[in-house]
Amino acid sequence: MSRPSRPANALLARNEPMVWLTGAGLVVGLLMVVALVGFVFWQGFATFWPGPVVSVRTTDGVVSMGEVTRSERFRPEPSVTAALAPEVVAAMQAGDGMVGRRLVRIGNFELTGEHFRWVEDFRLEPGSESLPEWAYVFERTAWGRFYGVPEAYLDGESVLSEDPAAVRAMLARAPAGAAAPAVRVRTADGVLKDLPTATIVRCYPANHLSTTGRIGVYASRWREFLSAEPREANSEGGVFPAIFGTVVMTLAMTILVVPFGVMAALYLREYAKQGWLTSIVRISINNLAGVPSIVFGVFGLGFFSYVVGGRIDALFFADALPNPTFGTGGLLWASLTLALLTLPVVIVATEEALAAVPTSMREGSFACGATQWQTIRRVVLPRALPGIMTGAILAMARGAGEVAPLMLVGAVKLAPELPVDLNFPFVHAQRSFMHLGFHIYDLGFQSQNSEAAKPMVFTTTMLLMSIVLLLNATAIWLRTRMGRSGSGSKF
Amino acid sequence: MTQPVTTPHPDRLAAIAAGTIVPAVIHPEVGAEDPVLEVADFSLWYGAKRVLHDVSLAVPRGRVTALIGPSGCGKSTLLRGVNRMNDLIDGVRTTGDMRLAGDSIYGRGVDVIELRRRMGMVFQKSNPFPMSIRDNVTYALQINGERNRGVLDAVCRRALEGAALWDEVADRLGDSALGLSGGQQQRLCIARAIAAEPEVLLMDEPCSALDPIATSRVEELILAMRGEYTVLIVTHNMQQASRVSDFTAFMYLGQVVEYGPTARLFTNPRLRETEDYITGRFG
Repeated sequence: MSRPSRPANALLARNEPMVWLTGAGLVVGLLMVVALVGFVFWQGFATFWPGPVVSVRTTDGVVSMGEVTRSERFRPEPSVTAALAPEVVAAMQAGDGMVGRRLVRIGNFELTGEHFRWVEDFRLEPGSESLPEWAYVFERTAWGRFYGVPEAYLDGESVLSEDPAAVRAMLARAPAGAAAPAVRVRTADGVLKDLPTATIVRCYPANHLSTTGRIGVYASRWREFLSAEPREANSEGGVFPAIFGTVVMTLAMTILVVPFGVMAALYLREYAKQGWLTSIVRISINNLAGVPSIVFGVFGLGFFSYVVGGRIDALFFADALPNPTFGTGGLLWASLTLALLTLPVVIVATEEALAAVPTSMREGSFACGATQWQTIRRVVLPRALPGIMTGAILAMARGAGEVAPLMLVGAVKLAPELPVDLNFPFVHAQRSFMHLGFHIYDLGFQSQNSEAAKPMVFTTTMLLMSIVLLLNATAIWLRTRMGRSGSGSKF
Repeated sequence: MTQPVTTPHPDRLAAIAAGTIVPAVIHPEVGAEDPVLEVADFSLWYGAKRVLHDVSLAVPRGRVTALIGPSGCGKSTLLRGVNRMNDLIDGVRTTGDMRLAGDSIYGRGVDVIELRRRMGMVFQKSNPFPMSIRDNVTYALQINGERNRGVLDAVCRRALEGAALWDEVADRLGDSALGLSGGQQQRLCIARAIAAEPEVLLMDEPCSALDPIATSRVEELILAMRGEYTVLIVTHNMQQASRVSDFTAFMYLGQVVEYGPTARLFTNPRLRETEDYITGRFG
């Protein structure tokens, strides 16, 4: 190298370290996104896959039969190990003092009083573990899952069939003509239990399913999840009302926020005389974007629900009082609150889009004898439209993912009716609604059967992410379509 | 119009630089023309900075008049003053007046929108609107409330033919104007400017962003418009001024120095200062 070398600075001078540093920043960011999406989707997709049913007997003689949901290694309490046989403890100590255990979903809640049971490896009776050939999983409308082997098919009190093959055939398709059909199931403990088929949502022989059969069960569970109402305190069944509520609320919010935001930005950028006053307004708008969302929720509850809604009730729905109509949380107030929350996003994005319209274009329009409004309407807005749409998309993404303010202004655990239906006047803006974000919170923190609800958290999260993605993709598609007819700028 | 001619001002440019108002040398041929646009003692300030000093200029009807001069001499400002585009800039103040066919431009109660409709303007950088070619050309008519499709189509064709663009875009009038090449875009802007039959066409360095071939096409266009349109063109390019214009005004630091027929000004100017500028000895 003939170049004068300065060892301390040579590397920096060649700019290479900055390439690596900035590249690493991007890689870390991408990895986090991929990890987040990958984790949620992996967990979410696995939830509905039907696993085998395992039967184990522990040394105390208790038989546990069900699906293994989790297995882990743990260090037992000294009080537990003290009661064990010395050779067991020695075997345990030979390792690192850790032993394995599995969480078995045993179901049969009305008989056992628990949905899940931990089975420690050292308690297992040797050779007792098996996959019972004809163990069935019954998903029911109440009491959670039931695990057992079907033995007979009943109509009321009369037994229709006791032949196992015939019973299984009848289970596959409910027999016509049976008045009150039920199936008699023997549990792992040998208890017989009659299950009315009307309460059975789905049943399948878990250890006897072909891959096609598993895919069938998987697809059927997804279908139910996407199209049915929730049951069992939201931990089972579908989330259709929540999907519907999320989409309707997000669209209503977008329809409310975009015109207001665009008008505000138009005045601020095109009409207002730029000076210290507009600067203060701009700073305030930017600060509004940083206000915690729960504050907007409190405002929505206090102002929209109580003040505005209360006044509407007093004027138009006086006969329903003291039951509030608009004086409580509902779709309209939730949409308005979120519109307020996302207003800064729309204003800032629109202002940037307007500022990016070249002055030469405005001058060209004025030179043709256009008024200011004609110039805005025909030249500035079409040119700024992609940027404005970007703002709307950002607002939509922000609004669809917001949960905290919704808890105050209308999202509920279980809404009896959809906010939009076929009954006049079709849109019921006062109704409370279900929301996927709130549903996730409810599943994760409020569920009675938290072990069963946990996988649903991931599936619902995955669904929420997909819906936000879908809404955004639609808006982006719309933006490209609009952009094609006029402005050439695409970003 | 009897100016003291041929007497070389001992230090005309220095006097102008010192802020003295030096009367312009105006050739008698200008007075023989019928002026459509008259600038009368027009001055303009950007804030505290005075850019134009009592400029007086008569633009003859049906002729091409070029404004030349070194950067910052106020020629673009004067041009933008004609259709009051300077109104859009904060802190601009004017005195004096201009008259378009006898109607005051800076008088009280003048409808600026109405005034601009009587003029067309072509800018330094082409500025087609984000809409179809047809809508671009007929923009001035549409904002004026013209809805008749037949009228609009006829105007569109006539303007595009006038701008020598019709043959290139006749089969894609509905396409976005932003898909045209740079030269085509500038000719489209010319078509847009002449669509409403302006009394004066203002051109602010219309070829400065174009390649030589596109430039020569625009120049041919300007030559073809002579007689039909009154054109006031600002240019940096002396050859261009000599090729396309009938009259030329040489400006320096906000004042008109010499104004006369282009042929005379370029071959036999009255002032040594004009000759020096044209031959490239300064500026």
